[in-house]
Amino acid sequence: MEPLLELSNINRSFSAIDALRSVDFSIFPGEVMGLVGENGAGKSTLVKIISGFDNEYTGSLKLNNKETRFSSPGKAEKMGIAIAQQELSLIPTMSVAENIFLTGDVAPVFATKTALVMKAKDYLSEVGLDYLDPYLLVDRLSVGEQHLVEVARLIAHDPQILILDEPTAALGESDSIRILDMVKRLSDRGKSIIYVSHRLDEIFKICDRITVLRDGKSIDALPISELDVNGLVEIMLGRELKNMFPSRNKKVKGEPLIKIKNLWPDGLLQPVEFEIYAGEILGLAGQLGSGSGEVLAAIAGAHKSRSGTLEFGDLVFLPRSPKEAIEAKIAYCSEDRKYDGLFLGRPIIENISSPSLKSISKFGVRSTRAEKELSQDISAKFTVDASRLTSEAGVLSGGNQQKVALGKWLSINPKIILVNEPTRGVDVGARAEIYQKLRDLAEQGSAIVIASTDIQEITNLPDRVISFYRGAMINEIKLEDMSAIKILSSITDPYSETSMQKEEN
Amino acid sequence: MSTGSSISGGSAKLNFLDKIIRDYSGLAIIMVAIFLFVFLYGMITAPNFLTIFNLKTIVRDAALVGIMAIGLTFVTLSGNFFLLSMKETAALCIIAFATGMSYGWGFELSFLFTMCFALVAGIFQGALIGLGGNPIVVTLGAAGVLYGLGAYWSDNLVVSYRRPHGAEWLGTGSFLGLPNITVAFILIAISAELVLRKTNFGRQVYLIGANRAAGKATGHENFSMAIKVCTIASVCSAFVAIAFSAQVSSAQVNYFSSEFGSSGDMTIMVIATVMVGGNSIMGGYGSTMRSSLGAIFISSIDNMMVLHGFNSGPRVFAVGLMIVFSIIVFALVRRGSRTEE
Repeated sequence: MEPLLELSNINRSFSAIDALRSVDFSIFPGEVMGLVGENGAGKSTLVKIISGFDNEYTGSLKLNNKETRFSSPGKAEKMGIAIAQQELSLIPTMSVAENIFLTGDVAPVFATKTALVMKAKDYLSEVGLDYLDPYLLVDRLSVGEQHLVEVARLIAHDPQILILDEPTAALGESDSIRILDMVKRLSDRGKSIIYVSHRLDEIFKICDRITVLRDGKSIDALPISELDVNGLVEIMLGRELKNMFPSRNKKVKGEPLIKIKNLWPDGLLQPVEFEIYAGEILGLAGQLGSGSGEVLAAIAGAHKSRSGTLEFGDLVFLPRSPKEAIEAKIAYCSEDRKYDGLFLGRPIIENISSPSLKSISKFGVRSTRAEKELSQDISAKFTVDASRLTSEAGVLSGGNQQKVALGKWLSINPKIILVNEPTRGVDVGARAEIYQKLRDLAEQGSAIVIASTDIQEITNLPDRVISFYRGAMINEIKLEDMSAIKILSSITDPYSETSMQKEEN
Repeated sequence: MSTGSSISGGSAKLNFLDKIIRDYSGLAIIMVAIFLFVFLYGMITAPNFLTIFNLKTIVRDAALVGIMAIGLTFVTLSGNFFLLSMKETAALCIIAFATGMSYGWGFELSFLFTMCFALVAGIFQGALIGLGGNPIVVTLGAAGVLYGLGAYWSDNLVVSYRRPHGAEWLGTGSFLGLPNITVAFILIAISAELVLRKTNFGRQVYLIGANRAAGKATGHENFSMAIKVCTIASVCSAFVAIAFSAQVSSAQVNYFSSEFGSSGDMTIMVIATVMVGGNSIMGGYGSTMRSSLGAIFISSIDNMMVLHGFNSGPRVFAVGLMIVFSIIVFALVRRGSRTEE
């Protein structure tokens, strides 16, 4: 059988950096091809070339065995290549049906709402959203549903090849499952799918073959049957990754460092109470909308609460702003580093010193030397290249950005570090480093609390897990009975016994 | 427009020209080249342009607009856009100062009296913006209030006071051959730049301007920032009003709507200066030094055109063209300075 799309000897360089070096890539009709690699390995560049966003490359691109070159994304789309990017391009104030026919070229001439809705239903059922009312405005949907609507829009153009760039990166478990189901359904209908993801478990669930990119070079595509997770990670990193997760702390806790009393953040159904111990990593498990993230943000003063106090040594208070929390040595990283985790346009050094300007200055005048020492120290601890401290944070890869967003908090010597989604959009290598660093900080006596929707992470990193479901705290899971199945069942369907058995099968 | 300050370090092997060609887009280079050509041509052919006397005139003309632009730069850098009430603040302040002087209160007392108005205007606008008010709406409203007060107070008449009045030193005095207002401009420019670079307040201006949400998350809130920067801008306005009044020994609410720059409108001139300096309109990127240089730059173009005999129409046109020009060039330069990982 001839490959549907075949790229060979692709080279692409950005001024001094070679992003891709003689990369080969092919995909057959009806195939699901996984595309994996660390951040900066060249995945995005390759995807941009295939989808026509980038045509300043050298090498050959054959579609249906014909040499082609896409001069624009529009041309690629006409030739049957569609891409769903990480950033959604839907218009939130328009209805689902209107969004599906946004480009207008496949819509009927007299596009009344009813006509669009009738037509939209076919595409919606193709992506598994047959239950959805096409009249609904897009901003009423969950993020996962929005992703599916975006795909439905692409399918309306009947593409041969569909590229999904990290479709589940921002999604919780149940939304992710919908996306995976959809991929399977589409490949059964003969569509070829290029699936880019950091989540290796998903890759193994749905892909037929996997292409690995490493440092801009491609490694021959391998069928999924010849690989396992550890083997794949080894190929991605070019070295053996012993265990991504550091060993855990089983020691007895002693007195709690902080007691959270009667905390009722907006968005939760009832107040929560729990305790955090020095030296532990506590995990808050829950899907998007479960309230775990809101609890974390409320402790840091970044989210409103109706009531509650933190008993923190002699201090009994509830921070009303991040500023008050920082003064009490509570550090908080939100799940969206681009929104409020980093000053992307400012140098890395300024990002690192941003929470602790007072400590490196006298009478409001900053000591340049103290700032330099502080940021060199932190960048060394988080293995960020110290020679790049003066470059803008925005040029770093996702993994390095996350290290800066997290590392900056070391400058206040925090007693409690709250991290929402510690490794979202972070490659495997940097992920292991971040886990190790969090564990080190816990061992040095800080208390770490993470909230995560990544089931692997929440099962393997924390010493203790508290689960949340639809705005309520469900239960506490101790280290000895921690398992993916147990956590998964308490965050997806805690009140039903049958679901537990289903998950086990 | 200083291209010198934005050249980033490269490898030592390349010479200056190669580095520029490597780092900047062709369009930016061509635009700067055309501009330099026109500027140099105009400079050489303009009669008496390159005399010490004329150069001093250029800086002196730039001083008043420049000082206000430095104040406004803080607002812009901190991501709070512009104060559209710059000239109205000055209008109320000049009436306040002249009234004080005409009552015989003396320079010091009139100065303090005037600054009280500036502080109130700055804090009030800053608080409204800090609470989430749209800077355009808030300052347009404030502009009406401030101008209205000044006009009502002075009955739209010229408030004048007789020499000697104790304020001549600021208006028309000089120090080591430089007019005092030029000296004040230089001192304010240097200290503003030092504040931005060396103090925590300066850093907060950049951080909050670059990303307000991240600023809040790291303990730097825009509420107090908005009050501080608006107060700085208002105080600069008041200072300019006092200096101008000391020069002409009088005050009238319309001085700042008709007397400044080729277009006559102080607010427009000040905003133009901040933009020509290449400060990011969204905040987080730029400096007061850029605004100071922008003021001198506009003033030198204006001066050159006057020497060539142009009337105000072409001069306004030239200022407008420079804004568009510098926005494009700085956008291109900034895009070029980012390399992808």
